[in-house]
Amino acid sequence: MPTTPKKNSVDTIFSSITAVSAFSVIILIAGILYTLVDESYPAIEKFGIWNFLTSTDWDPVRESFGALTNIYGTILTTFLSLMIAIPVAVGIAIFVTEISPNFLKGPIGAAIELLAAIPSIIYGMWGLFTLTPIMSRHIEPLLKSIFADVPFIGILFQGTPMGIDILTASVILSIMIIPFTASISRDAFNLTPSIVKESAYALGATKWEVVKNIVIPYSKLGVFGGIVLSLGRALGETMAVAFVLGNNHRITTSLFDAAATITVTLANEFSEADTDMYFSSLYYLALILFVMSFITLAIAKFFLLRAERKYSR
Amino acid sequence: MADNIEIEVKDLDFHYAGNVHALKKINLPIHKNMVTSLIGPSGCGKTTLLRCFNRMHDLYPGNIYKGDILFQGENILSNSSDLIALRSRIGMVFQKPTPFPMSIFDNIAYGLKLKGVSKKAALAEQVERALVHSVLWDEVKDKLNASAYELSGGQQQRLVIARALAVDPQVLLFDEPTSALDPISTAKIEELTAVLKKDVTIVIVTHNMQQAARISDWTGFMMLGELIEFDMTQKIFTAPSEKLTEDYVTGRFG
Amino acid sequence: MTRQSRRKIGGFVALVLCTLAALLGLFWLVIILGDVLIHGIKALKPGLFINDPVPPGVAGGGLRHAFIGQLLITGFATLIGVPLGVLGGTFLAEYARGRKIALIISILSDIMVSVPSIVIGTFIYAVLVRPLGHFSGWAGAVALSVIMVPVVLRTTEDMLSLVPWTLREAAFALGAPYYKVITQVVYRGAATGILTGILLSIARVAGETAPLLFTAFNNSFFSTNMGQPVASLTVTIFQYAMGPYDNWHEQAWAASFVITIFILVLTMAGRLIIKWRYK
Repeated sequence: MPTTPKKNSVDTIFSSITAVSAFSVIILIAGILYTLVDESYPAIEKFGIWNFLTSTDWDPVRESFGALTNIYGTILTTFLSLMIAIPVAVGIAIFVTEISPNFLKGPIGAAIELLAAIPSIIYGMWGLFTLTPIMSRHIEPLLKSIFADVPFIGILFQGTPMGIDILTASVILSIMIIPFTASISRDAFNLTPSIVKESAYALGATKWEVVKNIVIPYSKLGVFGGIVLSLGRALGETMAVAFVLGNNHRITTSLFDAAATITVTLANEFSEADTDMYFSSLYYLALILFVMSFITLAIAKFFLLRAERKYSR
Repeated sequence: MADNIEIEVKDLDFHYAGNVHALKKINLPIHKNMVTSLIGPSGCGKTTLLRCFNRMHDLYPGNIYKGDILFQGENILSNSSDLIALRSRIGMVFQKPTPFPMSIFDNIAYGLKLKGVSKKAALAEQVERALVHSVLWDEVKDKLNASAYELSGGQQQRLVIARALAVDPQVLLFDEPTSALDPISTAKIEELTAVLKKDVTIVIVTHNMQQAARISDWTGFMMLGELIEFDMTQKIFTAPSEKLTEDYVTGRFG
Repeated sequence: MTRQSRRKIGGFVALVLCTLAALLGLFWLVIILGDVLIHGIKALKPGLFINDPVPPGVAGGGLRHAFIGQLLITGFATLIGVPLGVLGGTFLAEYARGRKIALIISILSDIMVSVPSIVIGTFIYAVLVRPLGHFSGWAGAVALSVIMVPVVLRTTEDMLSLVPWTLREAAFALGAPYYKVITQVVYRGAATGILTGILLSIARVAGETAPLLFTAFNNSFFSTNMGQPVASLTVTIFQYAMGPYDNWHEQAWAASFVITIFILVLTMAGRLIIKWRYK
């Protein structure tokens, strides 16, 4: 902080106001954490931590609650969507940085940004009206006919494909996170100095070899950070999955079954919770989600900061 | 063509994308197992010319070559020429050290692996030979698995030279290889060129006239995209035929 | 086949796959936008903006209540979130520049930007809805502003940091106190960037649904009373799309169309301004 000519009282007031505004972020995060713990306290007391995390109960009538079905749904949809999104997103980033002719780079970059700006409720609604029928009539029966009888992975493709299920939700979620992952990966790839790439070309490497051996290793911290950031987004996404996941508190092995994620359970049940314990358990779920995504995002931030430091030297 | 000529440039014109005429009617020979330096004020086209020899310009769209560059009698500017093969025969070293994000060993082995050398023993032997050749072996032999970023700038530059040497190129292109280095590291690289020319032909672009005078056998002086004069280094620096060359080497401009 | 041609073919295949990935990304954009456009334009009638809803199943009616509600909630969220964000960003980039606390708040803001928005909804429910006994437009606006603050704060911080330090020194040299240097010199230098950040943050919250579900809730009637439940376009889309009536679905498409265009125009405007100003 620079020394001003003389201490000015207006300056003191102004700097205090800015400080309070900045600290509001800390206050908000602390407030959210405190509120969630406070609200879920009755449920924490009744079900404990380990029991709640591992119980598959979700029975508002008997007031017996556990988080496992929700956590399972959250992790499964997130995992599947990343499996679909990562290769596509990294492919897009490689295309934009290394393959595309210059005049296409701008438009494709803009398209990615636009895709990222579309609100999640649009993805959700589009999923319900357009993707679900396609999934249930064409894609899922096809997958079923191919994989249902294959040992081990066959259990993923059992039951009647209805379209409102884990697979459809994961596909929509993946479409939603592709632009995030792609644009962070692209920024990371762009940090590779062209002189290092030229050195590899000068040794007789092909374009793909340069990407694989130079660009990707050079930017792996940034790409990894971007992937973890997308993971955080996927964990906490509500509207894109709320339309097409159903709300099924059972652990299922088939991707053609409905399921529940923490976010979907909150969206569907929060305003109709009629008992204190039901309500408190929903807050408990929100607390778990908050902690999960906070940790994920902190990890992402850690890698992105390290990537930034590494290359700004 | 005489046996002692490695590369022959004939009527070379080069346009960057957007029609910038960067090289105009260049004609010059690059003699085998000798050091040829290209000097001239910034923007004169010396680096542009150097990057024609391994067709580095092809990485960016819209650049146009006209004329011929004969490398061992074969026109490398023809459409059918194989850039991957060409670049594994003509190595390049850049202004700044460009270690790859991998270990010291893997940096050197990279070009060999591209060429298909996969046996561990063969790799180890050739990596060692390249490092010995670039006088880096004694400094790194105990930490071959360390990251290449841990080396000093001068060591990194010799590492990059070793990496280029490992694939047994016939020509090495040096693009101001010492511009980012301290005087001691510079001296080491200059000594190295004298040793290396027994095995490879070297073309070096430098902004440092004393360096050109110290290490090269032939010198080309360029200005505004044209080759003003090309001759034995000694002649260029003591009795140039062109007025422009004389003004430049005596420091009257640039 | 020689080793070299194998390398070339393998590389070619890999690059083709990357190109296909890029095409797939574009394909989704075209399909989703196209779908929203086609269905939306079909359902887009002047009545949508000037009529209030009619009972389910009855033809006609519009979403005037939701358009106005959305404007109110987003507008008040902007009024709360932007000053807090800009002032907070000022603290980080000016008074706390280079100090540890600035880095900590900056990192926390980045994390906060991605905290699940539905969690923010439950938080506001606990502090603003239940104590007052009812859902309200205010609660919705506060929930959106909580999402907005870290976004605006971080852009402001970044944009102020881009203003050269010498500019401040020049103003100090004239004897100006720091707050005058900031408000009269630094803000002016960073104005375009900060405005862009604000535009993008509005685009970000205008499409939020989850944080409104338990705060502003929803309202089937026209209401501008922020102390009571207020309808929003996004929650209405959710309700209508999940509902069983065809004309609800049509109106949901139309509302999606309007909100998508609004957000895309804001986003593009923001990007264009950045490009024009900082390139």
